[in-house]
Amino acid sequence: MNIKLNSVIKKYESSNTKQNESARRKKNKANTVLKIDKFAFESNKIHGIIGSNGAGKTTMLKIIAGLTNSTEGEVYYNDKSSDEELLKKITYASQRPYLLNNTVSYNIAYPLRLRKINKVEINKKIDHIMAEFDIYHLRNQQARNLSGGEAQKVALARALVFEPELLLLDEPTANIDPNFVELIESAIAVRSNLKRITVIIATHNVGQARRLCDQVIFIKAGKIIECGDAKEIISKPKEEKTKKFLAFEYNIS
Amino acid sequence: MEHILNGIIEAFKLLLSGDRQLYSIIFLSIYVSFTSTLIATLFGVPLGFILGLKSFKYKNIVGRFLYTCMSLPPVVVGLLVAIMISRRGPLGSFSLLFSTTGMIIAQTLLVTPIITGIIFSSSKERGEEVKEICKTLGGNKVDTLFLLIREMKVTMLVAIATGFGRAISEVGAVMIVGGNIKGHTRVMTTFIAMNHSMGNYATSIAMGIVLLSISFITNSILYKYVMGDRR
Repeated sequence: MNIKLNSVIKKYESSNTKQNESARRKKNKANTVLKIDKFAFESNKIHGIIGSNGAGKTTMLKIIAGLTNSTEGEVYYNDKSSDEELLKKITYASQRPYLLNNTVSYNIAYPLRLRKINKVEINKKIDHIMAEFDIYHLRNQQARNLSGGEAQKVALARALVFEPELLLLDEPTANIDPNFVELIESAIAVRSNLKRITVIIATHNVGQARRLCDQVIFIKAGKIIECGDAKEIISKPKEEKTKKFLAFEYNIS
Repeated sequence: MEHILNGIIEAFKLLLSGDRQLYSIIFLSIYVSFTSTLIATLFGVPLGFILGLKSFKYKNIVGRFLYTCMSLPPVVVGLLVAIMISRRGPLGSFSLLFSTTGMIIAQTLLVTPIITGIIFSSSKERGEEVKEICKTLGGNKVDTLFLLIREMKVTMLVAIATGFGRAISEVGAVMIVGGNIKGHTRVMTTFIAMNHSMGNYATSIAMGIVLLSISFITNSILYKYVMGDRR
């Protein structure tokens, strides 16, 4: 699935209505969290959105996922506007996952139940994905009692189990034990290569973007500063802002 | 101290004696409080969800108003209902003053804001997350509604139990609206107040024990569900 962003702007509404016109204009400018003139994510590739906290990565993912409306502009999926059927093929996994108040296996089976898949098929699929993510032993545990890393693995398994066409991941390995990061990254890469899923990952982990992504975009204050081949941008950034960000990220990692 | 101990012993004797008047008072109390809680649930739960989940201009003001209504003084509610349903009141033609129906109306008005307020507060806090997760996993509006009900069943149970607790333990509204008429509108709380003022401590304590037991049973069932859900 290819994604095109056309003049997408996201602003937060100002609650103070008494401010004068110039203050309001200034405030409006400050409230713009995302401003993308034109950008396209190619299908069947892994895209990385890199940038520091508050750069607009999550906002961009949420707009593409249809969870937040943009203030202006449109998002096109395979050159079509979004509709309910299309949104069923898209999934978004947050960095702070919300797990349903039930067992781990119930959580993973939930999107399959929504799609009215039969019980035998559901059990087969969830057993397979739980084994892949090394969470089979947690299947009967209450999802709310899991640690942060376990919860993130469950949320990822739940997002992948119904084989979406577009996978949107917000810091997918932020809470995960370093031993399991490779496992998660390989699960994402396998799905992109074999199942032709388009993946967009928001991360400030430059190493992960380099390992996993085909393309990256670097955003700062809601604007795209640089985009292109992942390895090229990360090793030889052209823009000064990208260089600064990468130097800082490499220093702290 | 002695009269308290004697009171407790007398209370158990009275409870085991099978006194019909005593049991009819207990059943009337449960009937009035159960019915008013049921009506309040039917109105309060959907209203709480709608107010909590929808974004609208004066949501904060509505929230403050709801929270204020959660602590409405029963005597004031009783007085208002009594004025409305008294012969000279706008609903006087229905002859509801000193009737069970009048008591149910008063308790419903007391309980509805409690149930609505609890559901409002919880759905405002968690509703967005539930809506978001259902949408990202491919659910439609009906799926979201069912998921929301499933995710918030403990909150709903807490709201209903709190409402029932309020209804069965209040005395002011049922005293004013019902009038504590023997065999007609006398409930546990008005019975306790009346016997206390007459110096019948044993009878008051007996009814107090029943009231506490009902509260204990309600909360035990609630606790079992809540803990079962979190196990």
